[in-house]
Parts: sequence; structure tokens; C-alpha cells
Amino acid sequence: MDLSQYAELFLAESREHLSACNQLLLEWERHPAGLTPVSGLFRAVHTVKGMAATMGYARVTDLAHRMENLLDVQRRGAHPATDELLQLLFRARDALERAVELSVVGRERELDVAAIVADLEQAAARMAPARPGERPVPSPEPTEPEPEAAGRLVQVTLRPEAPLKGGRAVLVLKRAQALGAVHAVTPPVTAFEADEFDGRFSFRLDATAAAEQIEAALKAAGDVAHVTVGGAEAGGPAPEPGATPGDAGAVGGGPSRHIRVDLRRLDGLMDLIGELITVRGRLNQLAAERRDPAVDDVAIQVSRLSSDLQAEILQARMTPVWQVFDRFPRLVRDVARELGKQVAFRVEGKEIELDRAILDELGDPLMHLLRNAVDHGIEPPAERRRRGKPPEGEVVLTAQRERASVTITVADDGRGVDRRKILERAQREGVVDAHADALTDEQLLRVLARPGFSTAEAVTSVSGRGVGIDVAMTRIRALGGTIEIRSELGKGTTFVLRLPVTLAIVRAIMASVGPERYALPLTYVAETVEFGAVTTTMVEGREAIVLRDHVVPLVHLRRLLGVTSDRAPARAPIIVLELGDRRAGVVVDGMLGQQEIVVKGFDAPQGTLPVFSGATIMGDGVPALILDAAGLV
Amino acid sequence: MSHTVLVCDDAIFMRTMISDILAQAGFEIVGEAETGSQAVEKYKQLRPDLVTMDIVMPDMGGIDAVREIVKHDPDAKILMCSAMGQQALVVEAIQAGAKDFVVKPFQPSRVLEAVQRVLG
Repeated sequence: MDLSQYAELFLAESREHLSACNQLLLEWERHPAGLTPVSGLFRAVHTVKGMAATMGYARVTDLAHRMENLLDVQRRGAHPATDELLQLLFRARDALERAVELSVVGRERELDVAAIVADLEQAAARMAPARPGERPVPSPEPTEPEPEAAGRLVQVTLRPEAPLKGGRAVLVLKRAQALGAVHAVTPPVTAFEADEFDGRFSFRLDATAAAEQIEAALKAAGDVAHVTVGGAEAGGPAPEPGATPGDAGAVGGGPSRHIRVDLRRLDGLMDLIGELITVRGRLNQLAAERRDPAVDDVAIQVSRLSSDLQAEILQARMTPVWQVFDRFPRLVRDVARELGKQVAFRVEGKEIELDRAILDELGDPLMHLLRNAVDHGIEPPAERRRRGKPPEGEVVLTAQRERASVTITVADDGRGVDRRKILERAQREGVVDAHADALTDEQLLRVLARPGFSTAEAVTSVSGRGVGIDVAMTRIRALGGTIEIRSELGKGTTFVLRLPVTLAIVRAIMASVGPERYALPLTYVAETVEFGAVTTTMVEGREAIVLRDHVVPLVHLRRLLGVTSDRAPARAPIIVLELGDRRAGVVVDGMLGQQEIVVKGFDAPQGTLPVFSGATIMGDGVPALILDAAGLV
Repeated sequence: MSHTVLVCDDAIFMRTMISDILAQAGFEIVGEAETGSQAVEKYKQLRPDLVTMDIVMPDMGGIDAVREIVKHDPDAKILMCSAMGQQALVVEAIQAGAKDFVVKPFQPSRVLEAVQRVLG
């Protein structure tokens, strides 16, 4: 049968189980004497094993099987978890994850699981009692040898390739019992439970039926190669029973309330909706020109329906943040362990939902911020004690929904950022005015986010390998989000990330500069004013306007984009953007109103100004670039 | 009329695969269960001709589910879905009343053979 169709399901479900393994291992590590996580672990690994075996991924199966064995031995012996055992299981889980991922993409051959398999085996051997099988299983019949037992001697040999021969033997015995009393089962039924059982057994059957009948009845139990009744060899290898499918027709599908959808399907749907919305824009434009009430009616209906459809699709794309957050407890633990720090990690708001595309992009930046929090934020236990703090530091990751955006915070109660040190360094590097005597939060972030800027005296392996805050920041901004820092020396640091709930469709102000149109996402537009209606001034060599006592620097898009055609209008509109506490006034030629735009990914060619975050297609089919507020203010 | 089947397994992957194998052979999948207790509940409600039962499931395991179902309906036809290394559990399940078993990885022909034996 074609297994490739199941590969994605296998992957998705295996990932879930592996993620669960992480949570359970962490829980176990916190309470090593408790055994509750073990059965969950066992189940998760067992499920992965069964699925992998079905997919034919031998190495995944093998690895999972050894883990399962070890867990089983551990469970039966009710041993508390030692640190060594936990580390081994963590390693094995990671190896299993790699094995799953590689197998699905057809690279199973690259895997070398021999070392970890050997470690698992050794650990299981060390813990195993002399012999398993403490669990007594009642046998269906008395097994005492009955030397003068009544009945005919029946000898059965199962097919050599039959799996789980003991189970099959019990099925044969059941069939025999239907014909008459069964005695003197040799070897005793308890031996059937051992893996060494080779599939040959005999018993006495007190039945009057003909040998052929007995033989046929027993062979019906399946996987029976030979049956001899009353000493006379009867029959050879059983004929291969042909699979006799019933009448075809009814195709099943349980009455389940959920289905799994390939993410690419949702992306495809989203693209189509995007096109629909573009066409809707065109329809509205035409309807406005026509001034025909009937056409207007249809246009309005199409508008409403496509909005509803869009809302439904966006909803279908929403994914709870735990799908990404769930791997962080393990990450924080690993980093803390590596650095010899004690960290309690909490996650709040796991059930908050975000568009899948945003969530997927969020993993790396958050990972970096969490690493930073443990590495640079949380102090070593001794230092914390000296400062009168509990030796265990705290890192909290929180997700919160606020209207159309989701706020994610990464907070630690560590040493906080030493602004004095950073200011000195920033002044040395000429990043900050030499006369400044303090850094605001916003300046601090800008300094920290400079590529390559690090205050760590020694670059540890932890933060040395990751992306810098600058990369995290770029990612967040590319998603249309913002990032803020709050830090207090000695008390801790908090990063606040604000993200749109959905990525694909945003409301934007359309503006023209020369012959081109540009879109400015409304999220960042504070207000619009007219050039000439406000006071212009020069601040630190930059042109600016004064808006309610606040100086707002101006950005002339014409100049920035090098547009020389036509002339700028005298009373050009200024779109005031606001990002955190930074503002900028963007001077454009004209404003074309608001509309919903479908954001398309945008691979900027080298040398493109860093002021575009994407592109969109307008109602008339002409593309327009989307301006990135973060690149302008 | 085609036979009705209740598929019990905690993995969607496994349920999908078993359902596909059986549906292609003309069986009608009338329900799915993810836990042993769901299996018992759905058995009572659906009275399927056949049950495929995973051994390791959360909440209530497959073997306990077999006991419960057989208590309720001694003629229940239950096919255990087991994995290599579960010899003792399979023996226990059969003694509890399961009619046959298949071993993962599933080969459609072997699954259908076992089903035929169970429905006999």
C-alpha cells in the first residue's frame, strides 16, 4: 500500500507526542520520585513506535522500542528517576525527534542510532530484575502435568514467520476448547508470554470429532503450519487464506468533529481569498463609477460575503501559541543547566491564538530572548543570594490578546541591564551623543539591537551561537510587530513583543508618490496632517514639524525614493507614524484613502531601501509596495 | 450489507490507516475512539459488528476496555492491534475475550485475514 500519503499525519502526530515527552520529562525531573509522568511517556513513545513501524522506518522503530523497554523496566520496578536516567531519556527523545524528521524526508540512512540504542539497552539491563514476568496471568486451564491425561495428543506448530506466537497459541487453545476439554498444555501457558516461545506446543484434547475436523478448526485460528492429532500427522502448511473483501461501496470516516488540514491548503485558500478581495476592490471601483443601484447591491453583497469568508479562513489559520511555546521549557532548562543556573520557567496564556504564519516565525526570536534572559539576565545562585534574592531565578513567558494584536512578554527577575556600561560603550562607538548622561528604554533597545553589540564580557556558548537581538528585532518587525524593552538594574529585564493577530490582510492608507502608489499599514498611522498647516522647524539638522508640542522628524518619500518626475504639491499630506514612542512624519504627494490590502511576501533584491515590508496587488491589478513603519521612524 | 466497525486507537495516524484498510475492503467505519472508556461507551451506543482495539491507550487501556465490552456483550468481536514485544499483553487480551490480534506494522492482507477469522 502507498504509505507516503500517511507521512504527514505521521510527522504531525509524532511531533505532538515528542513535545509531550519533553513536558513529561521536565515534570519528572522536577519530581523524580513521582511516577505519574512515566506512563504518559511510555504511551507517547509506544505510539510513535507503532506508527514508525507501520511507515517502515526501522531506525525510528528501533530507537522507540529501546526507550519503551527502558521505561517499562523503570515503571515495573517503580525506581525513582536518577539524574543519569533522565539525561539519557532527554537525549533519547532528541535522537528520536531527529530520527522522525529525517525519516519522513527519506534520509533515514543518515541516522546513526547505535550509540544511543546501546546506552538505552545498558540502562535497561542495569535496572531490570533478574527476570521479568512478575505479573501473574491466570491461565485458562490447569497447567499441572497430567501424565495419564485423557484425550488425544494434539501437536501444533505455528508458522515460523508468525508474530507474537504466544498470542496465537492461546487463540488455538481457545478453538480447541470449543471442541472439548483441554489438558496438559506443554509448555505451560505462562511460557507463551515469553518472547522465546518458538511456536511449538501440544495438549490433550478430550473430543470425539474426526482428526480432520479438529485440524481444520485449529487452523482457523490463523498462522498454524502443522497440526497432528492422535499421533497421526495431518496436513501440511496451511494454504494462504485469500483475503475476501466484502462488498465494496461504503467508505468510512468516523463522525469526528475535527479534521487535519495541510497548512499549504490553508495558504492556498488564503491566496485565493486575497485575489478575491483584490477583485472585490475592482468591483467596488466599477460600481462606484456606474452609479447603478442594482450593481451597487451586488457589490455590497459580494463585499459582505467575501469579508465573512475571509474571517472564517483567518479563524481557521489561528493556532494556539502553545504549539510553539511547548518546546521552551526544555530549552530554558537546558540553557540553565549548561550555565549552572537555577531557573523556574512559567508560561502564561498558552491558549492565546495567532495566525499560523506569524507563530511559525516567532519561534526563533523568542528562543533567542529566552536564552538571553537565562544567560545575561538570571544571575548564578551564589550571586543571587548575595543580593538577597532567592537562588532560583524566574523567567516568565506570557501571551495576551489585546484587540487586534497579541502581546508576548519575556520577563526575567535577573540583574537587569547596566545602562551605565552600555552608555559608555555606545558613546565609545559613537552610537549615542557623547554628552548624553542617561539612556531611555527606547535608546537602550536601539543600542542593544545594533548588529554585533554585546555587553557580555565573555561570549558564552549559549548566546554566542544564537542570533542577536538585532535579528530577533528584524524578524518581529518583518511580521508587522514591534518590540520594546524595559529593564531595571538589579530587578530584571522584560521584552514586550506586539504582533498583529493575522498577517495576511491589513487595512492600509494608500498614498501616491510620483506615478507610484504605496501602502502604509494603518496599525502605525497616528494621524495625518497637511504640509503648510503645521509649523516646520529644524531639529539637530533634520527637518521636523511640531505637533502639539512634540517634535516629529519628517521623511520626504520623494527624496528617499529618488522620485524626480513631476513636482511635489505645495500642500503635501504628512502621514504621522507612531511606533512605540518614536514618531515620524512621512511626506507623500497625495492620499488615496484606506483599503484592505493582501500582504504578499517580498524578497527585496540586494540594495533595496530597507523601508519596504512587502507588496500588494491593487484592485486594478497593479502592484504597490508596502512601507515598513519600522524602517521609516 | 457491509459490516460495521468501531476503530479504537489513540493515534489518529493509526485510526486513519486502519479505517482506510477496512473501508477499502468494504467495511463501514461507524465510529472511532481514542481511549478505552470512549471505546466502551461507543460500543454500547453503536453495537458494531467488529471492534479494532489498540492495547496502549490513555484513560483506560485496551485490555480493560475488552473486559468491559465483553461484560456487556459476551459475543463482541474484538480484534486487538498490538506491537512487537507485547506478547504477554496480547495473551492477556485474548484471555479477557479478544477474538484475534494483528501486529504492527499492519499489512492490509493480514488485517483482513484476521478480520475474516473474527467475523468467521
